[in-house]
Amino acid sequence: MSTAVLTHESPSHSGASPATCKFGMIIFLLSEGMLFSGLIAGYFVLRWAAVGFPWQPGAAWPSDPSLPHLPVFLTSINTIFLVSSSFTFHFGEVAVQKGKSGLWWLALTILLGATFVGIQAVEWMHLYHEGLWFNKGGIYGSSFFVITGFHGLHVFIGVLLITWCFLRQLLTRCFTPQRHPALANVALYWHFVDVVWIFLFVLLYWI
Amino acid sequence: MISTTTDSPFADQNGHSHARESFFRKYLWTYDHKMIGLQYFWTALFFLFIGGALALAVRYQLAMPGSVVPVIGRFLPQTIAVDGAIIPGGYNMLVTMHATIMVFFVVMPILIGAFGNFLIPLQIGAGDMAFPLLNELSYWLYVVSGFVILGAFFAPGGAPGTGWTAYAPLSAVASYNGTQVGQSLWGIAIFINGLSSIAGATNYVTTIVNLRAPGMSMFRMPLTVWSLFVTAILLIFAVPVLSAAAAMLFADLNLGTSFFKPAEGGQPLLWQHLFWFFGHPEVYIMILPAMGLTSEIIPVFSRKPIFGYKAMVYAMMAIGGLGFVVWGHHMFVSGMNLTLSAAFSLSTMVIAVPSAIKTFNWLGTVWRGSLEFTTPMCFALAFVSMFVIGGLSGIFMASTPVDLFVHHTYFIVAHIHYVLFGGSIFSVFAAIYFWFPKMFGRMLNESLGKLHFLLTFIFFNLTFFPMHNLGLGGMMRRIADPMVYQHLRQLQPLNQICTIGAMGLGLTMFVFLWNVIYSLRKGPKAPANPWHANTLEWTVPSPPGHGNFEKTPTVYHGAYEYSVPGIVEDYLPQNVPAPEHARLESH
Repeated sequence: MSTAVLTHESPSHSGASPATCKFGMIIFLLSEGMLFSGLIAGYFVLRWAAVGFPWQPGAAWPSDPSLPHLPVFLTSINTIFLVSSSFTFHFGEVAVQKGKSGLWWLALTILLGATFVGIQAVEWMHLYHEGLWFNKGGIYGSSFFVITGFHGLHVFIGVLLITWCFLRQLLTRCFTPQRHPALANVALYWHFVDVVWIFLFVLLYWI
Repeated sequence: MISTTTDSPFADQNGHSHARESFFRKYLWTYDHKMIGLQYFWTALFFLFIGGALALAVRYQLAMPGSVVPVIGRFLPQTIAVDGAIIPGGYNMLVTMHATIMVFFVVMPILIGAFGNFLIPLQIGAGDMAFPLLNELSYWLYVVSGFVILGAFFAPGGAPGTGWTAYAPLSAVASYNGTQVGQSLWGIAIFINGLSSIAGATNYVTTIVNLRAPGMSMFRMPLTVWSLFVTAILLIFAVPVLSAAAAMLFADLNLGTSFFKPAEGGQPLLWQHLFWFFGHPEVYIMILPAMGLTSEIIPVFSRKPIFGYKAMVYAMMAIGGLGFVVWGHHMFVSGMNLTLSAAFSLSTMVIAVPSAIKTFNWLGTVWRGSLEFTTPMCFALAFVSMFVIGGLSGIFMASTPVDLFVHHTYFIVAHIHYVLFGGSIFSVFAAIYFWFPKMFGRMLNESLGKLHFLLTFIFFNLTFFPMHNLGLGGMMRRIADPMVYQHLRQLQPLNQICTIGAMGLGLTMFVFLWNVIYSLRKGPKAPANPWHANTLEWTVPSPPGHGNFEKTPTVYHGAYEYSVPGIVEDYLPQNVPAPEHARLESH
């Protein structure tokens, strides 16, 4: 009986290559992009049908002036936190590529991400007390809370993923300059969530 | 001629290593794409019988309105049947659950989950999928969503009865549909099922792009792989939109939001747009893999190269791309803008072009071939002919003025079943008979297979052809009792003919089931390449060992080199280089 050895670089034996993992992540993020596209498209349809296009006269949103306005200033600060967390994560990745641990950068990213979720939660509580909620304020409340809820959930999962990367690096130093697919993929996901937020921030708070 | 792996001790060796794996690791939580394919296969077959039983209950009610349903009547919950006789609300639940189960839990999992998982790595010469863990996760998400959808039967208020399209506001307002929990479970099941689809599709695209064996260029890939590639891309872009819609529906039902409630400023039409933005690509998600499987089987039993390989690939891309810009043709009767209707009409009719390219190419493949009428070939040819009927009736619906009249009638029920049953399910059967030897290492019985084919073909047409007449005769769909309407009483014999056909189809399934059970135990052992086919899965033992290929195969040409002039054998596997003087179709 010959001792046949598998020569194929089959993923069941050696794991997918970092490039393959990255490709898979990008495909998955395309799908995530469509999820948010669906939500945003729904938001547009509802809003335009209710008050017309934003550049039309009398298209004030929300149409009911008694509804509370969104805290634009606080959220602008929050947006700065989230955007800078993308940079800190990137610096962390660069540090790992240079052979350093990158732990401080990752910790800073976790802190910024958690702050974003925290401020978002405070904002939700605030709006709830002002009289805007899933079931209050009509389609204005519905779309705001469902869309920011979906995004907030993504940020929350992102924070958990970065924490997982942080702990792995802290305990095992598993990310080497040549091979750190988990870190690279979580970074991709984090940047994606960040970019989605910029769209949502402009659409929900500014326009 | 055939690769040396055929008679290597490789399979036995791995058989031993398999024997050492626990039952749990081998059958329940496995990373082997072949076993995951089989998990999908058996689970989808289980759901096929449930969905089929629901359909039979529907047909029984239409033929004998209000009478006690034999056999399964006793098992139906109180919300559907009282003392074994179906009530109108329960009829809606049966229709809804039949369609939901058949679409999301039978056709998609068996075409994409079962055959996609089993065939993609084998046909591109890879050891497994790119992400085996994600693959298994995708299967178990499918199982979880299956439990959730079956759980809807036992919800207070019963299963959802809003149709598989769950049109708002009926679906979005609990006091309208009467089953807040049932409809919410429907939304949850669709959401989880969507996660499963996205996980699977991500895996397929990544695997096909990154893990092809040396020499397997994109234009040497078998058409099955191409079809699954296009399908996976459609899944990536279409399914998340349904997930978003399902989440909004769930929020409307449980969190008090008002996305689809007109009373609170919501838009019922928004649901239709979001649903059909997914729903129409979904139609191609369910037919493209069927086309791919058929394109594999027809050349093998015609002993001829597929006619117009590249045209087939481009046609699939065209169908996939156009699939995203035609959703409005499901909504002609919704009162949408007429100019928009005209645009959707036009884009829909354009799809007839790539579909016709595919049909004529299959005919071109069969033309003057040396045909072998094996069971898979019979089913594949039936697929082509039934798909033509379903495709032609689709043109009627694409035209807005015609659609306005036939939209809510049985004409559309006939159309969907000609493409989904006559199309997808026929090709599923063709594929089962064709790849069963590779999957289980045993041949299915040909005589039982022929009987299964013949009865299915006859009873299928007996069931669904009269529905064209019923529809044009004015019978509305989704009505529990046609006898209530004066103008439908004269059509009742046609309804009874449909039901006789449906009962026949149901019973025929047991011929198939018996064939599978009998052949698994007593069927003759399958050789590595029983059909003398070219694709890579036939170069390894049946069933293939763990890791698929002893050595990474090298691919020298396309998958359809049958009856090549200058070669003694009438086939040339992809991993065998052609002699100098041979004139190949592909390069």
